[in-house]
Amino acid sequence: MLQITEEKILEALKTVKDPDLHRDIVSLGFVKNIKIQNGNIKFDIELTTPACPVKEQLKAECETKIKNLSGVSNVEVSMTSQVRSRPEFGTSQVLPQVRNIVAIASGKGGVGKSTVTANLALALAKTGAKVGLLDCDIYGPSMPLMFGLVGRQPDITPEQKIIPLTAHGISLMSIGFLSSEKTPVIWRGPMVHQILQQFLTRVEWGELDYLMLDLPPGTGDAQLTLTQTAAISGAVIVTTPQEVSLIDARKGLQMFEKVNVPVLGLIENMSYYACSDCGKVVEIFKRGGGERMSRELGVPLLGEIPIDPEIVQTGDQGTPIVIAKPDSQTAKIYQMIAGAVAAQLSITYMQGSATTPIDLKWQAGKS
Amino acid sequence: MASGQIINPIEIKQGTGQNLVIRWQGEHESIYASGMLRKNCRCAGCVDEWTGKKLIQADQIAVDVHPLEIQGVGRYGIRINWSDGHNTGIYSFKYLREICPCELCQKSQESDLP
Repeated sequence: MLQITEEKILEALKTVKDPDLHRDIVSLGFVKNIKIQNGNIKFDIELTTPACPVKEQLKAECETKIKNLSGVSNVEVSMTSQVRSRPEFGTSQVLPQVRNIVAIASGKGGVGKSTVTANLALALAKTGAKVGLLDCDIYGPSMPLMFGLVGRQPDITPEQKIIPLTAHGISLMSIGFLSSEKTPVIWRGPMVHQILQQFLTRVEWGELDYLMLDLPPGTGDAQLTLTQTAAISGAVIVTTPQEVSLIDARKGLQMFEKVNVPVLGLIENMSYYACSDCGKVVEIFKRGGGERMSRELGVPLLGEIPIDPEIVQTGDQGTPIVIAKPDSQTAKIYQMIAGAVAAQLSITYMQGSATTPIDLKWQAGKS
Repeated sequence: MASGQIINPIEIKQGTGQNLVIRWQGEHESIYASGMLRKNCRCAGCVDEWTGKKLIQADQIAVDVHPLEIQGVGRYGIRINWSDGHNTGIYSFKYLREICPCELCQKSQESDLP
């Protein structure tokens, strides 16, 4: 019988491709710690995110490919992950301990962006990632309610840093936690700028794999401050299928293009209603708008979320649906979208469209 | 990415004689004289935001003007701290690429004219 070798294992694994990155898992450097003991083979597959949407599929494919080699009696594949980081990780002055910053935006209000952000953040955390959520909607913060933290206040360290609150395994910060009689009702441009800068520089997040920014709707001061202050890894645009919402989503997309933030994709919210009794699907706002726009603009459609009364109910009670009803169809869709967002981030880094931080000190008298 | 192509620098460095050098993705290299960049600042103090009219005259700028420090702005541009104290302008990569003073780029700009 032929002796099985590391080369033979790698050769077989070279035929396994990551469907998102379009390259084989060996050249991507995913295969680690190959151990051969007689016919027993053990190795790790280190993915770029624990939220990898094709984790199980890859695992099964690896097992099959190796089992089919002669001289192999048993295969054990461990799936691990090391979240890829933006190039600014560790060096940037703003949020150096955050591997990925994802902005969730919408062109217009009322599309359910905060609900989507909350559930996406929780879905990512459920895969094992360390996640933070910064509610940047200073005009109408909704995270305190959605996470059951109304009236709670964050602790402040002696160094005047803000310790984020935690709920359902993620760290949270919102203007809603700082509300007092002194909090303004009307925000002038410079005040918006100041508070968001403080949120980005004075919150002690610790090390995070993903920081989700829930942006206020539209394309204004807040969006500009955020994109100028932090090197955002990518943006996700939430829309509903109606034409009015799609027009504004397009504006949001153009804004991110202007500031070089890659748009990871679109999420169509309130796509349809599936009756919980009879299962009949009703397309309340017409269907397919998000898909059409994704094709037109050349950005991926990350997923379509149905109208589900439980989304609203669970959100209002402080336990978003991904946590409250993890087995529901809606929670599963969120889990899938979280995987798609993480995959798009990995693709962005693979394409190298991100830049390294710039900090150049001019030297006097150089000629 | 969608329609617009992302313009990214690979390297930004100080060149000889107070020049700023930017090497772009796709291997083009732009060399900007400090004075030229200062004159082309597009901040609200130097250019009227509505009319686009230049508010600063070339002779108001010191001949030996040069950057003290250059920092990235988000993912899309740089902010230059100038020796004359000016620091409000953001130079987007797109704008910098457009005003590349090299012969090749200047020529192609002329041929773009109707």
